[in-house]
Amino acid sequence: MSTNELTLTPGNALDVAKGKLVVAPTQSLGAVRRPVNTTGWREWLFTVDHKKLGIMYGCVAFVFFIVGGVEALFIRLQLALPDGRILSADKYNQMFTMHATTMIFLFAMPMAAAFANYFLPLQIGARDVAFPRLNALSFWLFLTGGLILNASWFLGGAADGGWFMYAPNSGPVFSPTNGVDFWILGLQIAGIASLIGSINLIVTVLNMRAPGMTLMKMPVFTWMILVVQFLLVFSLPVITVALVLLMFQRSYGATFFDVSQGADPLLWQHLFWIFGHPEVYVLILPAFGIISEVLPTFSRKPLFGYPFVVFSGASIGLVGFGVWAHHMFASGLGPVSVAVFSMATMAIAIPTGVKIFNWILTMWGGKIWYSAAMKFAIGLVILFTIGGLSGVTHAVAPSDTQQTDTYYIVAHFHYVLFGGMVFGLFSGFYYWWPKVFGKMLNEKLGSWNFWFMVIGMNLAFGPMHILGLQGQPRRMYVWTEARAGEGFFNLGFWNMVSSIGSFILAVGVLFFIINVIKTTRNPERAPLDPWDARTLEWITTSPPKVHNFDRIPVVHHLDEFFHRKYVEDEATHTMKQIATGEELVRGEEEAADADIHLPGPSYWPLLLSIGMGILGMGVIYGTPIMVVGALVVLFSSYGWVLEPSVPDAIDFDTPSTDGHTKEITPVG
Amino acid sequence: MSHPDSPHSSEKAMDIVNNVKSSSHRIRNSIATIFGVVVLAGCATNAPQDTWQPKGENAQIINNLQWIVFPMAGVVGVLVFAFAAYTFWKFTDRGQPIPSQSHGKPIVEIILTIIPALILTVVGVFTFRGIFELAETKDTEMIINVTGQQWWWEYDYPAQANQGITQPIISSGQLVIPVGTKVLLRETSRDVIHSYWIPALNGKKDAVPGRINLLRLQADEPGIFAGQCTEFCGLSHANMRMEAIALSKEDFAKWVAGQQKAYTSPADGTLAKEGEGVFLNQCIRCHQVNGLKKADGTPAIAAPDENVYSGAAPNLSFFMSRNTFAGAKFDLLKKSCRSDVWDASPETIGAKYLAGVSESCLNATDLRAWLRNAPAMKPMYADPTKLVKSGGKYRGMPNLGLTETDIDKLVAYLLTLK
Repeated sequence: MSTNELTLTPGNALDVAKGKLVVAPTQSLGAVRRPVNTTGWREWLFTVDHKKLGIMYGCVAFVFFIVGGVEALFIRLQLALPDGRILSADKYNQMFTMHATTMIFLFAMPMAAAFANYFLPLQIGARDVAFPRLNALSFWLFLTGGLILNASWFLGGAADGGWFMYAPNSGPVFSPTNGVDFWILGLQIAGIASLIGSINLIVTVLNMRAPGMTLMKMPVFTWMILVVQFLLVFSLPVITVALVLLMFQRSYGATFFDVSQGADPLLWQHLFWIFGHPEVYVLILPAFGIISEVLPTFSRKPLFGYPFVVFSGASIGLVGFGVWAHHMFASGLGPVSVAVFSMATMAIAIPTGVKIFNWILTMWGGKIWYSAAMKFAIGLVILFTIGGLSGVTHAVAPSDTQQTDTYYIVAHFHYVLFGGMVFGLFSGFYYWWPKVFGKMLNEKLGSWNFWFMVIGMNLAFGPMHILGLQGQPRRMYVWTEARAGEGFFNLGFWNMVSSIGSFILAVGVLFFIINVIKTTRNPERAPLDPWDARTLEWITTSPPKVHNFDRIPVVHHLDEFFHRKYVEDEATHTMKQIATGEELVRGEEEAADADIHLPGPSYWPLLLSIGMGILGMGVIYGTPIMVVGALVVLFSSYGWVLEPSVPDAIDFDTPSTDGHTKEITPVG
Repeated sequence: MSHPDSPHSSEKAMDIVNNVKSSSHRIRNSIATIFGVVVLAGCATNAPQDTWQPKGENAQIINNLQWIVFPMAGVVGVLVFAFAAYTFWKFTDRGQPIPSQSHGKPIVEIILTIIPALILTVVGVFTFRGIFELAETKDTEMIINVTGQQWWWEYDYPAQANQGITQPIISSGQLVIPVGTKVLLRETSRDVIHSYWIPALNGKKDAVPGRINLLRLQADEPGIFAGQCTEFCGLSHANMRMEAIALSKEDFAKWVAGQQKAYTSPADGTLAKEGEGVFLNQCIRCHQVNGLKKADGTPAIAAPDENVYSGAAPNLSFFMSRNTFAGAKFDLLKKSCRSDVWDASPETIGAKYLAGVSESCLNATDLRAWLRNAPAMKPMYADPTKLVKSGGKYRGMPNLGLTETDIDKLVAYLLTLK
């Protein structure tokens, strides 16, 4: 072991300038040597850093967003005119199945995971998540699941049963290709990723908050992510059970959903929606959390009614487990069940309404700065409200029997999920981009991005209200002139408008991509506190150092960072600045902790995920492949167990003894 | 607002709103103004599956609820957006100081929780009543068994003396019901889940294999009401349509009599008689024609269960008394003849429908193309090389390889089935 060989961090000139020394591991323990690479692609493959994993989650999820978006454009092309010929019935059915599956499981959930991974530890003043290697495993399993799902396009056709995959239409007779098998395995593997991730984040929030940060001083984003993780922990096992049953039916001749063997196909629907409805809140609550950070920041006021927002989020999560059968109002449940679920569904509108009022009241009396992030946040408030109100119209169960499975529902959930969730995520992109990449996204392009997306989304999904109320069902690969009607509300005109809108929407997303490319090429660095922000993730450099905080902050307030910058002027009841964000960040650097201990990189999460992928393929392509996969999983589990989670001191060069910060970590 | 029905229906709806909001004229007027847009949705001409033009009691119950919840949602939406817009404008950063960091007022929160709760309670009470009204089946006057399968509907009218049905009638594609009669559909499926939906008469109800779901329909006056399978049921889900035809009670009696006629074989030496031969050779494997006899005089019995996965194929006994075929995807009537029936007044539609399909009105193009190569006309699982998982059974109608002469004969024969 060389005692003199110290690696300086080329990427962190500030540290070098301040004379800080960074040491890199040179040895490792375990079944196989621990990876010691600290540069290049290997650094990303073997990383356990929550920030790197967050970025990877974000990049992969965005790619899937593009994939799902292209699928959506194909659907709208097909439906622009009657008797569309762009896609065959078979391809169309695959297209809408994969559009929904991709957007929900491969874009929305992992994109929320990207934000959660990156910002949750930063917001609670932690240096990483509780189980860093599990975090890496989550990411790699998600990627494996996503690749398996999409591989089906090239291996005989994708799943064609709709994302809800109702039995018995998902059975081997009715869906004879391997598409559904890929779907089952992809989702099971991605589901393991989410389940592991949720446990990881729950433990992180409950155990690793900075001193002084009680639960009721926690940022709302972190709160909403916490609620979502509980939803996942309780709902994912249900879908997993359903998927396992279906897998055994399709691959091993079981008869769980085979009616001729006495099965009841409604079993699948109950299992699916007991997962599927909480899933809706899994998708929307992270976006609620994001805008609950953005709206206060750009209104220069704390969130109005913080405890009400937190508890309404929690109660949405709780009641969300008691409304699943509103997806089944037409399935013949009987009037008592329908009435109960109808009332429960109305009840869930109340906490949702509370949130909307609180967001608007947050802006009330504020000093509003209409940045791109703020525009998207306001977009969420308005568009989600439209989706929420149309949701109330189908909480009325009899009314829902006219609307369900028509385009009215498609309109409803796109207002909720695109107008709500996606706008929330874009708000987060603009708000946190300077934190993650140290560069500001262009505000002007952001404005173009926003307006094209707002107009496109309203043109694409607004007319679907009309289409649905005029009786156009969903999931039809063609619509016919004979059922289109005439006059102002004819299906022909509004289908065309909707298709045009979808392309305007696509242009809006294109503006975002252009903005990212432009920003990346622009050498200009972002200020440390560009938005005059409020929460702990801003009390460190942008991008944050690998150890997040030079000193773990001690929390006294909700919105701690803001209250370190401002005090209230007793006379005027306005806020007076006492420090800038930069000054605070510099102050933290001056008072940096000595001996920061961080987890080391690992091969095992990646290898285990590859093993799981092979195992999954074995279900489709035969037992020998499964055996190979099982061996890889076993080997990597063995390696994982023997590898210490934190690099042992012996792995590293001796830290310096001159009082400087020592990062016992591979910073590169 | 050119539609003749709209003033009537909007007035009726406003009455309901009034009942809820107890006699406030002001509210009535403002709702009427603000929700012109929603009213307009009820005015589209000839949108056959419009969900805002109820033509019977059950659909009317639903429509009354729609007229409560849509305006309410609209009023709430407008109020919230007005408040939001005012906030956006009023508190734009114009250089004002950063305000005091107040964390909200619990009393405001409580009020803003109670108001939506009250509104939803009102909606909830009416919803509750509507759900149980719609589930009522005790006073049913007629029963029809409806069975879905990929990708068509079968109607089985059990014998019921009060409706003049002395022996079961089996039909497909078009549901025929008498007006002013409380009809109970007993729905099930032979393969996957389908959903029966005639928007003008009621909401949807799924046809679930292994279960029987009940759906009540009642039509106020004669007419044709379009519908569509609304539970995704596989490849040709989009092509699984249906219509409900409501006939006056007299016309319905005539229809029943027509469906119970004895079979008469075409006269010897005609093209149709040769067609009967082709039918006995090919079609009888799956399609039943009641009373049809083989050459040796024994009854010809179809065995769709040996060839089709769902075990059923449309009964063609009175094929030309229907207007559509192949899961109601195709019209049996030429365009001009079709609109003659579809656009007929309630008074004349019965006679026009009962006339069935004549040779001059037959949409021979689609029918012949269907007989020539059915899978090319409608996506189905009918490729004999790809039926491993269904045990060699078709899902849909295969290409029978008929010659043009066979098709001539068959069409002539089919024209006699009415």
